[in-house]
Amino acid sequence: MTTPRSPGQPGGGPGGLADRQAALVEALTAGRSVPEGFDGFRFEAARVALLRKRAGEVSRQWPMLAAGLGDRWKREFAQWAAARPTQGSLRDGWDFARDLVSRGALPTMAALELAEREASFHYDGQSPPKPRRAPALRAIAGAVVLHAGRSTWIMRRP
Amino acid sequence: MADQPAGGHAPAGPATAAGPATAAAAGAASAKGAGAEYGVGIGWRPEIAGFVTELPGLRFAEVVAESVHAHGELPSGLEALLARGVTVIPHGVRLSLGGAEPVPGDRIEHFAAVAERLAAPLVSEHIAFVRAGGIEAGHLLPLPRTREAVDAVTANVRRVQRSLSVPIALEPIAALFDWPDDELTEAQFITEILDRTGALLLLDVANVYANARNRGTDPEELLDQLPLDRVAYSHVAGGAEHQGLYHDTHTDAVPQPVLDLVAALCARHRPPALMLERDGDYPPAADLRIELDAIAKASGYPAVT
Repeated sequence: MTTPRSPGQPGGGPGGLADRQAALVEALTAGRSVPEGFDGFRFEAARVALLRKRAGEVSRQWPMLAAGLGDRWKREFAQWAAARPTQGSLRDGWDFARDLVSRGALPTMAALELAEREASFHYDGQSPPKPRRAPALRAIAGAVVLHAGRSTWIMRRP
Repeated sequence: MADQPAGGHAPAGPATAAGPATAAAAGAASAKGAGAEYGVGIGWRPEIAGFVTELPGLRFAEVVAESVHAHGELPSGLEALLARGVTVIPHGVRLSLGGAEPVPGDRIEHFAAVAERLAAPLVSEHIAFVRAGGIEAGHLLPLPRTREAVDAVTANVRRVQRSLSVPIALEPIAALFDWPDDELTEAQFITEILDRTGALLLLDVANVYANARNRGTDPEELLDQLPLDRVAYSHVAGGAEHQGLYHDTHTDAVPQPVLDLVAALCARHRPPALMLERDGDYPPAADLRIELDAIAKASGYPAVT
């Protein structure tokens, strides 16, 4: 594996700090194997702690999503997030919520939270969400939300 | 010490044996107001803004730099603290000073602008990396204690320093794992970075405790090896044990051994300021007051509650 070289920054040589840091981050966040020489038990403890912390951060951005999953929140989010590096807690929760929708598994309690955001922002799943300028109507699992101008109306609760 | 860092810099040693770079850094810091005593402080977070605003004796607080708008409006709680004359230190968590990649210019600009905005006498960041190869780790990760890593941190700290008009303090982190190929001891690694950058030290007592406990070493031994005269301020935080490893969670109460280590630090060289770091699962105000009072008692500073 190689990473882009950075002139003027030490550690950029082949097999140098840049490559080794990249391998470590991939092992922690993208499901790659633990780099050679590291203590597997401790590395795994750090990986799990990281997922737990991430679940906590996402639950602050998506309180209804976390509340809707209740006791299963940390486990289900960690399972989903284990091989997906973070895009920030707003997008992590958004991507996870959409994944639940596609599996028909979004808790009813979380439908309005997602519908409001889908109606108010344009989010392509690849780049940061942007506020919508045009009016939009979104229906998610029984929740219907209309967004126009700077206002959002709940048309129907699930 | 058989394996002192090469290169003619002041070696790791007792706090009293400060090298020329140390004296210069300390002098520069006090000239800019970083030498004042602030006592007990707290990490400002939006969730506990009301509690922090009402602490009668508070003279300093810290705010996560990335959470502050450089030019837009400040959160009202933070504005109230500044109006009261409380010193607020921006604490960076996303610069990735230990990254093999240069810190992006826009991050440096934001960090420096927040320092100006808060009129802070100093700023702080970690000796760690948080991204590599285009992937965000979402957490502070440890560096190998190698000369290559010292070079990488030094280059990035100097980049940041060029945009700052105040000193920077660097914080060694708590890590659950170490790299397999360390060349330097932790004290040598930290001291080498401080000497080469002229930076101050943000000593997190809970990190010292966590690392020593997980490595099976004596935390007071590390205190004896660090240049304590360069500590700008100290963090104190709680943690919990899971499966035999101590996690520096910032979401649990500060355990007694960490408070004992605060006392041990202050007996050697009391930092000008010590602060409670709490980052979630916020307890009732009365419990936070007890923790602040315990830090005051352990350090000998007046209570701020």
